[in-house]
Amino acid sequence: MKMKIKSKALKILLRPIWTDNPVNIQMLGICSALAVTVQLKTAFVMALSMTFAVSCSSFMISLMRKQIPKNIRIIVELSVISTFVIITDEFLRAYMYDISKQLSVFVGLIITNCIVMGRAEAFALSNPSHLAFIDGIGNGAGYGSVLMLIAFIRELLGSGNLFGFQVVPDAVYALGYEDAGFMLLAPAAFIIIGLMVWLQKTLTKGGESDK
Amino acid sequence: MSERLKTIGFALALCLVCSILLTAAATRLKPLQAQNMQLDRKKNILLAISLMDASKTYDAAEINRLYDETIFQYAVDASGAIVDVSDKTRKPGDDLLPIYLAVDREKNTIRSYIIPIDTQGLWGKIYGYLALKDDGSTIEGFTVYKHSETPGLGGEIENRWFQKNFVGKKIVDQNNHFVSVSVAKGIASDQVPDTKLPNFVDGISGATLTGQYLTKGLREILSEYEPASIRFRQDMLACRVSTQTPWCKNENEN
Repeated sequence: MKMKIKSKALKILLRPIWTDNPVNIQMLGICSALAVTVQLKTAFVMALSMTFAVSCSSFMISLMRKQIPKNIRIIVELSVISTFVIITDEFLRAYMYDISKQLSVFVGLIITNCIVMGRAEAFALSNPSHLAFIDGIGNGAGYGSVLMLIAFIRELLGSGNLFGFQVVPDAVYALGYEDAGFMLLAPAAFIIIGLMVWLQKTLTKGGESDK
Repeated sequence: MSERLKTIGFALALCLVCSILLTAAATRLKPLQAQNMQLDRKKNILLAISLMDASKTYDAAEINRLYDETIFQYAVDASGAIVDVSDKTRKPGDDLLPIYLAVDREKNTIRSYIIPIDTQGLWGKIYGYLALKDDGSTIEGFTVYKHSETPGLGGEIENRWFQKNFVGKKIVDQNNHFVSVSVAKGIASDQVPDTKLPNFVDGISGATLTGQYLTKGLREILSEYEPASIRFRQDMLACRVSTQTPWCKNENEN
């Protein structure tokens, strides 16, 4: 029995990372995935903020799921979500001012990110709180891993850096290599997401039946 | 009925809890945030005079040290004279404009003066700094530290690639008459004749309105500071000829 619970939690945690990825499969949160993935650093902070917001709000909503009056359900969910998001934003502004300036409105926009609202509606309202929390972590990680992957490609090809450190050696530049400025623009992220979706769809084609 | 009461009660309780959490977070973190904002302004002033490299990271102590060493805050009166902000002898009716002077320690001269920019943008105010060289006509740098323009469009004004366009531009025409500096619609060299090119910077595509607001704001602010700029242009700054001017005095006291 214990084993079963464990594996269920693990399944909930892992599912959104690959088979049910919020970005690549459910096509949610694309807007911020385009906006904050120019650098790995901002993508990483965004991923952490998102994970915090989605897991904590799912946890709280799940705790209150039996008390929440049905007719104000959505308002309650939004209040909880926005509280956590604003707290995250305040913390970023206090401790990571430069990054919070780069993320600008996108931290605040986590409130309207369909992933958070979607998890609250689809999972937290009908599942116990510990599972809702794990589901939040999983979805945050799923979203975050896609963000980091896009940011990795964009920062590497667009500015020759990773996490702000130069990785393309000067000798390569001397040979005539140039950074692809296109990678720094939003359409590049769009194309990368498209390719990732294609790749994942191709890879999971065989395993679709066990879903 | 009791169902409705329960709903209202739940909503009120939730509001209370959420507001307590938010108030606590906001008030506890405020001092840190204020400190960060202060530091960010200093950083932007230093960036405007290229004393800092935007691509490198500096810690707080370093920024404070650079700032305290180079930047002095003064004010400009209606005649363009630079006066001490704390000068008590001035009449309250005098309109004083804030100005920052960047000092060249080795030559003991003013290397540039920095004008705080506070102007209307498309969605809200744009705050930044415009640094002018001591010739009173060449722009040394421009930075924006706060704005509410659309991210990705007008919001690009906060990015270095846009701000770098200002470096070396002139606020006067060939005959040394004040014309301010304008943001062109698109690439400046496609829009204006070569003779006017020093007074135009490349605009941001998709952000024509932000550019227009910025052009208007810069013109207004620069014309307010024009008396001071004229003094710089004519090399009339008392500091150059005597040591009895506010900044030099301050310098001696140190």
